[in-house]
Amino acid sequence: MYRAGRGVTRSGQPPHPHSDLGAFVQEAAAAGELVVQPRMGMVSPDEMAAGVAAVAALPERTVATLTIDSYTRVGDHAAATAALRTGRPLNGFPIVSHGPRTAARTAAAAGRRTPVQVRHGSADPMAIFRTMAAAGLSASEGGPVSYCLPYGRTPLAESVAAWRDSVQFLTEESRAAGRRAHLESFGGCLLGQLCPPSMLVAVSVLECLFFARNGATSVSLSYAQQTHAAQDAGALAALRMLADELLPPTVDRHIVLYTYMGVYPRTVPGARLLLRRSAELAVRGGAQRLIVKTETEAHRIPTVAENLTALSVAADAARAARARPRAAGAHSGNDTEEILAEARALVGAVLELSDDLGVALLKAFDRGLLDVPFCLHPDNRGEARSAVAPDGRLQWTDLGALPLLTTSRRTSPMTSRQLAGMLGRVSREHDLAAETAPPPEPAPPATPRCLADPVAEPLRIAIVGMGPRGLSVLERLAARCAERPPARRIEVFAIDPHEAGAGRIWRTDQSPWFLMNTPAQEVTMFSGPADEGPHRPGAGPSLGEWWVEHDPAGAEPQGYAPRAVYGRYLTYVMRRIEETLPPCLTVHAVPAKVICADRGAPGSDEAYRLRLDRGDVLTADRLVLATGHPVNELDREQREWRHFAREHTTPARPLRYIAGGSANEMPLADIPAGASVGVIGMGLTFYDVLAELTLGRGGTFTEGGDGLLYLPSGKEPRILTGSRAGVPLLTRGVNQKRPEHRYRPVLFTPERMTRLRAEHAPLDFERSVLPWLLAEVNLVLLATRIRLAHGPDAAREFTERAEEALVPAHEPVPVAADADASAAEALRAGDVLRGLAAGYRIDPQPLTGLDALARPFHGRRFGSPAEFHKVLTEWLRADLCDARLGNADGPMKAAADVLRDVRQTIRDIVDFGGLTPASHRWFLAEFGPVAAMVSTGPPQLRSEQFLALLAAGVLEPVGPGARFGTDPVAGRFTVESAQVENSWAALDVLVDARLPTTDLAADRDPLIRGLLSDGVVRPFVNKAGGPGATDPKAGASGGRAGYADRAGEFRTGGVDCTDAPFHPVGADGTPDRAIHVIGIPSEHTRWFTQVGSGRPGRWGSFTRDADAIAGALAGAAG
Amino acid sequence: MQSLHSPEPSRRVLLTTGSSDAHTWNLVHLQLFLEEHGHSVLNLGPCVPERLLVDTARMTSPDLVVLSSVNGHGHQDGLRAARALRDDEETRRIPMVIGGLLGISPDGAEERTAELLAAGYDAVYPDGTEPTALLRHLGELGEHEPRGACTGRAAA
Repeated sequence: MYRAGRGVTRSGQPPHPHSDLGAFVQEAAAAGELVVQPRMGMVSPDEMAAGVAAVAALPERTVATLTIDSYTRVGDHAAATAALRTGRPLNGFPIVSHGPRTAARTAAAAGRRTPVQVRHGSADPMAIFRTMAAAGLSASEGGPVSYCLPYGRTPLAESVAAWRDSVQFLTEESRAAGRRAHLESFGGCLLGQLCPPSMLVAVSVLECLFFARNGATSVSLSYAQQTHAAQDAGALAALRMLADELLPPTVDRHIVLYTYMGVYPRTVPGARLLLRRSAELAVRGGAQRLIVKTETEAHRIPTVAENLTALSVAADAARAARARPRAAGAHSGNDTEEILAEARALVGAVLELSDDLGVALLKAFDRGLLDVPFCLHPDNRGEARSAVAPDGRLQWTDLGALPLLTTSRRTSPMTSRQLAGMLGRVSREHDLAAETAPPPEPAPPATPRCLADPVAEPLRIAIVGMGPRGLSVLERLAARCAERPPARRIEVFAIDPHEAGAGRIWRTDQSPWFLMNTPAQEVTMFSGPADEGPHRPGAGPSLGEWWVEHDPAGAEPQGYAPRAVYGRYLTYVMRRIEETLPPCLTVHAVPAKVICADRGAPGSDEAYRLRLDRGDVLTADRLVLATGHPVNELDREQREWRHFAREHTTPARPLRYIAGGSANEMPLADIPAGASVGVIGMGLTFYDVLAELTLGRGGTFTEGGDGLLYLPSGKEPRILTGSRAGVPLLTRGVNQKRPEHRYRPVLFTPERMTRLRAEHAPLDFERSVLPWLLAEVNLVLLATRIRLAHGPDAAREFTERAEEALVPAHEPVPVAADADASAAEALRAGDVLRGLAAGYRIDPQPLTGLDALARPFHGRRFGSPAEFHKVLTEWLRADLCDARLGNADGPMKAAADVLRDVRQTIRDIVDFGGLTPASHRWFLAEFGPVAAMVSTGPPQLRSEQFLALLAAGVLEPVGPGARFGTDPVAGRFTVESAQVENSWAALDVLVDARLPTTDLAADRDPLIRGLLSDGVVRPFVNKAGGPGATDPKAGASGGRAGYADRAGEFRTGGVDCTDAPFHPVGADGTPDRAIHVIGIPSEHTRWFTQVGSGRPGRWGSFTRDADAIAGALAGAAG
Repeated sequence: MQSLHSPEPSRRVLLTTGSSDAHTWNLVHLQLFLEEHGHSVLNLGPCVPERLLVDTARMTSPDLVVLSSVNGHGHQDGLRAARALRDDEETRRIPMVIGGLLGISPDGAEERTAELLAAGYDAVYPDGTEPTALLRHLGELGEHEPRGACTGRAAA
């Protein structure tokens, strides 16, 4: 449905299928944008084509124009042809002399998207229309009156007859060729100046009626900016109303405004001011299209560059006007009424004269019922006169025979000085006004022009999933195309059933209680900081900056934004990408779900055919899989729980199992007050569930003497929670680092680890890598303690001495002969650090392992839940104290922060099969959760709330090693911690708050399933001796994350893919270079992909991954 | 209004424009201006074909033909108009001037002026010239036989 049909005209050549002008304008209007259009005509086809291409390549919504020269206009084709032959300049494009082939080729420069209109001014347009039809062009301007009276001496009767035949010809020819003719009345201009608005409105409506009666189904009604903004706005409103009143409802229509058509300001600022005001008038008056004037209008026929500037200025002014509330005093209701009444009287009088509108027009001018002031045409009666009133409005001064009831304002004849004064009034006013207050420069910077072949097929890219990852690829692609326009046009289909940008997880309509887990100022989706220019790909605000700008009262840029706020930010980024698209790049947001992707037929030029759930098919040359968090089949235990709940639920005592996923998608509102709710897992989803069941039910927290107090609403359920460790995530330290802060490791350096992998891969993480990581953590722990006690100099000295002791100067990157020796070296580091620290009168004890932090109650037994709660409270309070010291000044949190800071180095070791299968399994099952416990925890507020809810008895942590189960006799779910006496409890609701992990075999997404069964993707299997599986059907059944595997291999469940630019590896072991996979689908193959944002400052892996894919995509387009 | 009592003799002006020039306001303004200064004006309106110009000139024998053009074709149209007037025995001695925006760009203005003068124009007024220049030109025209006013509609 996105591919336009290819028409072939009767002349045999296949002209380029141009965009339908009427539909294009309606689409822009629906998007809230003004279409801007130049008048532009050059004699040479090449220059004309270059001008058309340049207009089409602007980031604005433009219509391209072929303005015809004056000889062709008056039918003197001999003179035009002679000028062509002798190389004499013409003031436009002699379309008839050039012929249809050249015309078609020239218009093709507009590309598929931009409509092309022919503007000519001919009283007998048949020759022009014939050439247009043969060239595949179907949009014109004109009218039997407006292209006759002001333009010379063709008798009106001839013009009416010629226009009747010509309109019928063009509409029929266009229809036969599968196009829709569009006709714009020039009636809103007439002589350009001094014609009262009611006459302009009347002629415009009459001409469009004339078009419609002669077969046109798409028209535009024009109005030229006059001398008074409110009167003009009233005229535009009257024009719209009268058109709606009189035109058949089936006729497509819009209003087109002409920037001032009279004597133009002589200075550049004055001209720009007038242009900006016309764009503002278009917005306020409800016009959908604007024909601009240039800043050199007063002096000469403008160049292409001057036209482009005018279009950018106009579009900028329109955007600015839209963004501003309506100015006071701009009310034009009285003007509307007066103009509408007069225009209705004029049109009514004409329509009375004959059923044939052509005949009626002739009679009307003959009788002076229509009479254009100052028009010298022999068929114009020339009795009506008008003037600019002192307030600037145009008014009648002599009605002549006009059928208006307005009291005649007969005045003395106008002198040439008065006339010149009135004609030059607008020019003078604007030159003067601009002198004191120069109009602003247009906001969009000059973008490089698209040099791509407008006729060649674009590169079609489908991004499947438009959450943060898909958005990041699009952002980098757009930024790259803006820097360097591709040689081939690119068309992106941004596919997501949810709002583009936010996607499923960051939906903007989710509960305000769900918070992000990263401070807002450390989050960005723009790959560069905002600058002077408009927000655009490569330059835009961080979430924190945007939040402050959009919600100054509510924003806390250093705090944690609600997820819905981030969702809104993401949709803002998406919108800015769409609004600032560089030339050659188009984006279609497709609100649909991809059901399957089939390879294109062999030999066809399309790589994939995507079937969408709404029924249509999309073809794409490149596919980006950014499908995000999976929705998995339930595992055996989960299925049993669901079954158990269904079996045992009764209306009197409902029993529920709520499966894992995003808290946003859980039916938490259905949980009755007072019910016993078991929550499996104490990670971030647990906090969402907790917030929704307490704050979300009207409970409040207040400041107590000793931390927060919870005031229940009475609607809460009883919440019992448990996990392996039995404790919540460690609190995140108060942020003391600037957003762009990056830690420089001393021991766990990228160089050391790269070399370790290069020389000893596959590695055993626990034995060879973890000791170095722990040494780095301990170095920071001790150095921070020293800094707190003795100041920064002492800390620096300690770090230097540690470096000297552990990194010999002669070998900057010491790597032992084997991995075990390296590990021994690292283990020794703990002793060395303790020894060095002992001299500083601080606690010199380093951490013996990360488990001590994450599993504080390992093996410990508690006599009762109350005892456990007491100990847990003390533990979490101590953790909160550590957190308050900060992530730079607090030793514990500074040390924990190392894990975040070196995450990329860990990835470099682990990703793409860097560990042995057994170690990889251990890494994901043991290290991953511990690292998450220590370094991904929630903000302090969440831990304080945890304590308050515990104290209020709403929240009851069950204990370490909590086991959830069923009691078939009582028909309840159960939970119990083996380490806490009497912790057994019966549950009415079981909420699974564990995040489903990536597991291709369990994924319920039909697209992923199809790709897997077609062998386009395969799960990553870590085998001793290198990545890749020989038998893709082996293993992988049941179990979380596919931990079931054969001896010697680890079947991870993540999409097997190459390093950047991340092509999936198929069942046959070869990568598919037409596909890229980014983010969570490739988890396990790569580590810690569940990152939903970039960081300000130097690019992290989030942005680098996106850029690598964007680079490959842009490269495919040359 | 003092100009109505101008001491200069009243002249009969045929006001015209290029055959491809659709602009009207320059003609309306010049007509009013010249009439206010005591001259009589026949305004042919926009888009005047050469034939119409020559026929009207033959019928009315004006003191001066004024061609005012602003669409950028004034140079080419003006040359054609001059040739037509000069080719006709009865009109070849009628003085004529041209003025306005005569080319599509300022480039080549001097060549254009030279060419127009060579074609028979007595004066070429660049864009922006005050209309009083026309009054001076009318004042400098040789003595003439007083004739009836040149008014009314064009010949065709």
